[in-house]
Amino acid sequence: MSDTNAQVFPLRDSAVPGTGELSDDDVRRAVAHAVHYLPTQGPISVFVHHNTLHSLEDLPFEEAVLQGQEIYGGEPYLSEHRYREELQAGRIRLDDLRQILMDDLGDRADDLIASFGTRYMVRFAMLRMTLHSATDAELRWLLAESELLKLFHEEVSPQRREQIISHTSNWIRQRTAEEWPPVVRSLLAEYRSSDPARWSPAEQEAFTLRLLWRVCHQGVHAADPAQPEHQARSYRESVFAAAGNEAELRVNDLLIRFCSAFLDQGLASWTIPRRQEGFAASFARMFSRRVPVDHSWLRGLRKDLARLRDEEFNPLDSIGSSLASLGVGQAEADRFVTQTLLSMRGWAGMIWQLETSSLSGSRSLAEGTLLEFLAIRLLLERHSIQHALRREAGGRPLSVIADHVQRDGSSSQLHRIDQRAYTVFQISQVCGWTFDQLLQMSQKQWRCLIEELDEFNSVERRRILHLGYERRYAHAALDAIAVQTRRRRELMRQPPVRSAFHAVFCIDDREESFRRHLEEVDPECVTSSAAGFFAVAMNYRGAEQAHYRPLCPNVIKPQHFVREEPLFSTIDASERRAGRRRTLGMLAHHVNSGSRTLVGGWITGILGAVHAVPMVARIMAPLLTSQIRESLNTWVRTPPTELHLERTADEPGESPESLGYSLPEMAATVVRVLQDIGLVENLPRMILFCGHGSSSLNNPHESAYNCGACSGGRGGPNARAFAMMANDPRVRGLVAEAGLVIPEDVHFLGGYHNTCNDRVEYYDLDRLPRSHRALFRRIEGSINEARARNAHERVRRFESAPVELTPSEALEHVEQRAEDLSQARPEYNHATNALVIVGRREWSRGLFLDRRAFLTSYDSRVDDEESTILSRILAAAIPVCAGISLEYYFSTVDSERYGCGSKLPHNIVSLLGVMTGASSDLRPGLSEQMVEIHEPMRILCVIETSPQKMLSIIESNPGIARLVIGRWVQLAVLDPATSRIQIYQNGRFETYQPEETELPEVSSSIDWYFKRRDHLGFATITEPSAMSRPHFRVASSSTEGGEAS
Amino acid sequence: MIDLAFQTLGIVTVASPVLLLFVLGFSALVGFKLNEGVVARVTQCSVLVSLVPALSILVLMLAVGTRYVPIELGNWVTIPEQEFHFHLKFVFDRLSVPFLILSCILCGVVSVFTRRYLHREEGYLRFFLFYALFFAGMVISSLAATIETLFVGWEMVGLSSALLVAYFHEREKPVRNGQRVWSIYRLSDAAFLIAAITMHHLTGEGDFGGLMSSGVWPEGTAAVTSAQALLVGTLLLIAAAGKSGLFPFSGWLPRAMEGPTPSSAIFYGALSVHLGAYLLLRVSPLLEASLVLQVLVVSLGIVSACLGGIMSRVQSDIKGSLACASVTQVGIIVIEIGLGFEYLALIHIVGHACLRTLQLLRAPSLLRDYDSVENAVGPGLRQDNGSLFGLCPVGIQEWCYRCGFDRGFMDLALDEWIVRPFQALFGGFDRLERRVSNWLSSEPCRDVDGSEKRPDSIGRAA
Repeated sequence: MSDTNAQVFPLRDSAVPGTGELSDDDVRRAVAHAVHYLPTQGPISVFVHHNTLHSLEDLPFEEAVLQGQEIYGGEPYLSEHRYREELQAGRIRLDDLRQILMDDLGDRADDLIASFGTRYMVRFAMLRMTLHSATDAELRWLLAESELLKLFHEEVSPQRREQIISHTSNWIRQRTAEEWPPVVRSLLAEYRSSDPARWSPAEQEAFTLRLLWRVCHQGVHAADPAQPEHQARSYRESVFAAAGNEAELRVNDLLIRFCSAFLDQGLASWTIPRRQEGFAASFARMFSRRVPVDHSWLRGLRKDLARLRDEEFNPLDSIGSSLASLGVGQAEADRFVTQTLLSMRGWAGMIWQLETSSLSGSRSLAEGTLLEFLAIRLLLERHSIQHALRREAGGRPLSVIADHVQRDGSSSQLHRIDQRAYTVFQISQVCGWTFDQLLQMSQKQWRCLIEELDEFNSVERRRILHLGYERRYAHAALDAIAVQTRRRRELMRQPPVRSAFHAVFCIDDREESFRRHLEEVDPECVTSSAAGFFAVAMNYRGAEQAHYRPLCPNVIKPQHFVREEPLFSTIDASERRAGRRRTLGMLAHHVNSGSRTLVGGWITGILGAVHAVPMVARIMAPLLTSQIRESLNTWVRTPPTELHLERTADEPGESPESLGYSLPEMAATVVRVLQDIGLVENLPRMILFCGHGSSSLNNPHESAYNCGACSGGRGGPNARAFAMMANDPRVRGLVAEAGLVIPEDVHFLGGYHNTCNDRVEYYDLDRLPRSHRALFRRIEGSINEARARNAHERVRRFESAPVELTPSEALEHVEQRAEDLSQARPEYNHATNALVIVGRREWSRGLFLDRRAFLTSYDSRVDDEESTILSRILAAAIPVCAGISLEYYFSTVDSERYGCGSKLPHNIVSLLGVMTGASSDLRPGLSEQMVEIHEPMRILCVIETSPQKMLSIIESNPGIARLVIGRWVQLAVLDPATSRIQIYQNGRFETYQPEETELPEVSSSIDWYFKRRDHLGFATITEPSAMSRPHFRVASSSTEGGEAS
Repeated sequence: MIDLAFQTLGIVTVASPVLLLFVLGFSALVGFKLNEGVVARVTQCSVLVSLVPALSILVLMLAVGTRYVPIELGNWVTIPEQEFHFHLKFVFDRLSVPFLILSCILCGVVSVFTRRYLHREEGYLRFFLFYALFFAGMVISSLAATIETLFVGWEMVGLSSALLVAYFHEREKPVRNGQRVWSIYRLSDAAFLIAAITMHHLTGEGDFGGLMSSGVWPEGTAAVTSAQALLVGTLLLIAAAGKSGLFPFSGWLPRAMEGPTPSSAIFYGALSVHLGAYLLLRVSPLLEASLVLQVLVVSLGIVSACLGGIMSRVQSDIKGSLACASVTQVGIIVIEIGLGFEYLALIHIVGHACLRTLQLLRAPSLLRDYDSVENAVGPGLRQDNGSLFGLCPVGIQEWCYRCGFDRGFMDLALDEWIVRPFQALFGGFDRLERRVSNWLSSEPCRDVDGSEKRPDSIGRAA
């Protein structure tokens, strides 16, 4: 792997920098290489979760996170301190660490390190203790000012402390002054008396520690450790180290403003001049202009730009000559260019996204914009560096200066010794190594010890601790699944009965609790799940929407177009209301944009006091205000609508007759979804399909809260379309030909669940047969109760909600959250996700999963021998869930570099993304507020299949293989007939031995989570014996969730 | 009886925010961690305790028919030989009451907003401490009847604003920008202070009433000569320009958008930015005393408004755009003051403050708002390259764009024409000093800031 590693990113400038000019091909190659590392997040209104380190996905996880640290400066794991807290809290267990360390070391575990024990023992001791590492200045301060040399490490037990102190005193007293080694002698010389017995206990302790420190320092110094990690600075870093930080900041500052103006999608009322002529031309035009005052460092630039403006501009040439004048050799070019682009990676990435992917509704960029961006950036850097070094250079060309830039800088040897001595000092206290033992060590032993300590550095320790952190959860989850399948097997002995109704949701982790509550409320229902676009991959445009928007996973390019249209009888009414909407919209637009202009601003300003009323109302009583708005909105809302779903033309397209699907296409969709969820026989009378989305205010990341399987869109229309397809008798006929008979009395119903305010809407209720109305009322009642309970379970995570809320109060609380301008956490989205379960719901029903699991329905009995169905499910589910889990992982372990930091100072820019504060790089990733309760772990997939089938799926799916083999996800297979679980490890499946054989039993979810805020363990919910319990039943009068047409 | 009521209510209005500042400041000082709910409730109470008496005073004033209610708190410092005294006096009149009520309402709204917005934030208490400082400063300066009292409030507002810009002090940018705001504030404070001293020198006291020999705001004429008015007025104009981000100091306003959204909303969008205009309103009789001064005020307003208008059309980030739009409106308000439309200016301040607060508070909803407008109106709405502006020659259009892009060249000019020569001069002095000291000691002096200290091994430090 290390070969590919070096190829992907040459971390060391091994070769002597070449001096040759860079050819166009060199530059092109360097840029192609660099582009690979740019963030892949597009405009924020189409937020798609993906692995933050997607570019390193070919590497195994552990290597990739280290590479990520090298390239992006991001932390690979949580801080050691954080793991230590988890260790204390019992979230990580020592037993697990023992096992992991043993497995990790393998044969090397038993090697002797110095004279103190095996490698395993030394490492385990280092894992257990709090090993503090300090910078030089800190260490100096600690030695001079703190209790470091007066009191033992706080984790040393009193007995051990006594033991070490008395050992030291005795050792000295038992020997004559001649026998003392020099270090002891010189230290004792600083004391009045050389008999430790006469000292106070405090003095004895201090003496012991000072002696230990000196011995450690002497030992490390004598061993003269080699420099195993020679951390070379890259050439670019050296250049800016010489020129100063300011030289880079001013380039960033200028370019950020220019990029935001150039990429602007319509925020500013003036477009940048000559935008259509391209990035470089526009820049040259603007900055070659004579102005009253200009930055002094830009003075030389105007000449260059005038040339650039008037002549044919070739960015490759410009980049090449800039690199040459900065003294960048061929060998360094790749790395230099990569680091240059990554220095503003948000903007560079956005340019690349807009350049390469055509996004609906946004102004895309011409090909080559990124090259022009790079050319301009290097030009600016050249001038900035030249300006910064003008005193040193004194008019010489820049390339001459470049020769003087120190090409590598390594921190001094001296400091390493101090820091290592400090490490040994701490370990010897905790392990009880005495100074005489240390004194007896040979130079070789010292070196061996130091090498060991270097090797088991902080990152390595965190890696092991992290494995312990993941293992605890994984084992608890696997135990729970094993127990639950066993329980369910016993319960399922009775013959199957036709369920009352069936509800199908998205695989989303947020729907887990909703399904569980629905099953608890109405034990006769059955739920299952499929990816939330329900195989209806379409471009959709709602009746009140201006654009088509893809509603399918972003890997699919939808061919079909579907529109929502007013019912034929309401076309006129709809027109009228659309007119009113247009008028109001124009008014809002003029007020909003006018308020930022001179005259318009004057008018709106004079009349501005009117705004005080809605402002105060919205902030003081968000829910009430939104209800009032809602009721006023009926005046403009579109009347009942239907989907234009059936196509008459041959080919799908945007014209009216080619909108929609043909009958065979509909039938294929229906067959596919019903097979996926295993619903092929014994169909109940009503089947509810429920898409999901989320709505919240003042939240630029709103789209990230929507359905991931709909590319950050709302999945309601997909459910509606699916239900329409499946209800069509002609489609049913075609479906029956495929061997899947849908009885006539079965009705499909589409719905939409808003995961933020927990409302549920139903579509096309007018088409519900009269015979099914009673059943619908029952479903509606159950769903309403489930909504309240789901909200109740959710609010336990919100610190600002009191723990003793009742379900109906909780429902009100979440509704308020969604309408609150000041709410930075409308919901917690996918935070805490940790598990994917692929299999029949029968096995996991009644298992409390704490909203942490993606549940995907799959019935192996419907599948064929080649597992066609499973592999098509997994081909979508594993990458999507892994993308979500890994984005959360990285945004949590390093919220500043991988995430987008705190949400509070975010500033929307160019309608494309957010900056932090007044001006900064674009910030992709998730905000601190979104991930604050997340436990960063690689997701654990538990799949109901056999190891052989799973292995063959891995083999034939490169996308899955990369994630599984690279350990970006954890994988286990489940045999429900025996509850046997096998874990994927190093290319094969190994049987897992459950640690627990029992699960806590509770009579309902509420009993398990009520009044608890933290992450909860697994529990099993016992099947209700009689009718549902009296516990918090929401008055059924609350018929909320306006029924959409 | 009625006087006692006025006195009591007036003192409560002023005391409540000062008390809040004391409570929060003291608990922060002794390291006592108040929990979020308590902080928010105490703050809201305090705002309410200011607002209710203020409203009562308004009602009483209307009922009694008085237009001028002074609250005397006496001289706090008196140095007779220097002819100096520090006179604490507050006044309720047609100018201060609306401004006070506006401050209370906006601060109250923002405190409710912030309570949820900053939930779980590490600097929660710190924010509310700065907020208390700001609120106290606003109340004091809006009610101030003497120039020294106004200065106290003015300083508190300035300090809290700069600290709130640098609220996220773990990052570099906010701190830099906070410092920039602070240095411009200091500049305007210096002008203010000189003006205050001059005023004392001229009239023997700092009472605005003394400056305007007779009548209550907005009537009254200045008791000083036209030349004296020009001197004091120009200094106050500089102070107001710095505080309100007028020409040539507009550059700090967009840079100040570093703090959490509510602080941006209240401080730069709504209240702090109007304080300069408020100062000019307070001394409006002074302006009338000198035609030159009036011309100065109006032209400053025009330049600021035009530059602000250009800047706000070019900014492509929402907070920056709103900040520049504020500059435009404050410029217009200053024009109105210069032309003598005091009531219009006051209405404009109130309206603009409300509008801008709401806009800034919902700035993160921008994408959603654009979407809904586009859905209602249809695609292709986004940019209209400006009606009249589109008719201008391309060269002028491009020049205007560049002007807006570089924020009216104001920051640049300050940097290049003032800061850099200043730095160069003192850098020169530094080098000179070194050379002299080298020559005197006949050995090169230790470079204090350039070299990295190389400590000896600390192995034997023990």
